[in-house]
Amino acid sequence: MASGLFGPPQTVSKEAGGLNTAIGYFYHEDTFKNDTDHLIRQNQIYSQVAYGAKNMWEIYGRIGVSDLKISDCFSSTNVLTTTSKLDFEENWKFFGTLGAKGFYPVNKIFGIGAFIQGTYHFSNYTDSVAGSNNGTPYVADLKIKNLWDINAGIGFQLTAPRDIKLYAGPYVYYSEAKASLDSNIPGIEYAAGNVSIRNKSIVGGFAGVDIPLFKGFHLNVEGQYAGRFSAGAAISYIY
Amino acid sequence: MKSYLSVALLCAFLAVGCAHSQRSSSAVATQADISPKTVLLAADSGQQATDAQVKPKTQSVNDDENLDYAEDTFKEERVEIADPIEPFNRAMYHFNDKLYFWALKPVAQGYKVVVPEPARISVKNFFFNLGFPVRFLSCLLQADFSGAANEFGRFGINTIWGVGGLLDPSSNKELDLQKQETDLGQTLGVYGVGHGFYIVWPILGPSSPRDTVDIAGDYFLYPVSYVYPWYAGIGVRAYEIVNSTSLRIGDYESLKEAAIDPYIAMRDAYIQYRLKKVKARKARSLIFKAEETSAPAADTALPNK
Repeated sequence: MASGLFGPPQTVSKEAGGLNTAIGYFYHEDTFKNDTDHLIRQNQIYSQVAYGAKNMWEIYGRIGVSDLKISDCFSSTNVLTTTSKLDFEENWKFFGTLGAKGFYPVNKIFGIGAFIQGTYHFSNYTDSVAGSNNGTPYVADLKIKNLWDINAGIGFQLTAPRDIKLYAGPYVYYSEAKASLDSNIPGIEYAAGNVSIRNKSIVGGFAGVDIPLFKGFHLNVEGQYAGRFSAGAAISYIY
Repeated sequence: MKSYLSVALLCAFLAVGCAHSQRSSSAVATQADISPKTVLLAADSGQQATDAQVKPKTQSVNDDENLDYAEDTFKEERVEIADPIEPFNRAMYHFNDKLYFWALKPVAQGYKVVVPEPARISVKNFFFNLGFPVRFLSCLLQADFSGAANEFGRFGINTIWGVGGLLDPSSNKELDLQKQETDLGQTLGVYGVGHGFYIVWPILGPSSPRDTVDIAGDYFLYPVSYVYPWYAGIGVRAYEIVNSTSLRIGDYESLKEAAIDPYIAMRDAYIQYRLKKVKARKARSLIFKAEETSAPAADTALPNK
């Protein structure tokens, strides 16, 4: 699970040092595992502030909102238990991201960089499920709490004419959350108390392009693959 | 009822900021005019009415070249503002003056020591960005559509890429979207509504009947007015006033020190500043631009012959 784009390994801030800000959208898919695997989908919108200098390093922070959908979360393995729905769905909750990147230009065209980025979702994601167990109706809330992730990777960058930056590289990541159902329902996977869920894959790859637009604006488009494909775009402004 | 009245007064104080009103402090006091109701106003918006500008016209009558130069360059207008309630205004001026020196300034000075200037400028940018509705509406009502488009662009860019308005990328040289510092009082002025008489509101500071209407309009169009509960909104407004005062400590003091009669200097500066603003807005208006060139301004601005 990543929250947003990793961006080009080289900062887009001015060489003398300066801010750049961005607004971004990221569609994320991943597989989380507990006893069974669950597909997770998120739509994330965020605002970013970054400071970089010397074309070599950058630190950045993001604040954004994200929804959360977990497929087949409420499916029952017990024939006596029925549920009103299968998927967990919750709308916009806040998250924050901090990251840093460094870049070493091998020559004018090629360079290599590394980054680390961590995200924490401040709010709990909550959804209710209703149904019956052996003829007895029930309603239960499932909370996904303390969702966080950390990503680190290496990026290889090619600078094309017009200062277009193409980049790609591998990354590793770890993501975890606590799932808690407020009562035990036979046949439903998440029992009362905290159950940890975490990402199934730990290695992925990413590729993207950063294109200067006009008057200090840049467009960044990026795709990430780690078992599932995620993609996003951001428009940044260089101060 | 009492509590509503006190809340309204406090809101008004926070909206304008006692004697150290943004409107008046932006204007530069030029000369302590001994006439209580007359202000000499340079036609050029960038110039100040000073004695130096008056002299060429009166002393060099034998020099035709100088006379022409004086007539062309230093067209002066006599701006008259009625002050029928001067005793009341003077009392309110002194009340506001004390409020500034005894309350607002010490707090702003303390705040200035604690918070670095870039952070205070960012806060100022944030609140300025929040004032978008009144500026946008004013531009539209003034038929200044390029100004409205500018303001809309500024709001969008500063909100999205300026981190909610804390930064001001629109003012960078690449984008160069100029601030439209206008309000509903200026809009009324563009429509030909004159100042009326001079009035100093307790806490609110220098004003006129026309600009008093503007205070009410600004209140309803400023998002902070809708912060709930009411005391949180007042807290936000108080913080805004303290922050903005911390960035211009000394302006009011300079005006006061340079003046023989600070009350008159403040009145002149205020009325001059507002008149210049209205004239500048008229010049930008698609509808009222033609009127501006053919007729004198509505604010009793008369050529000084």
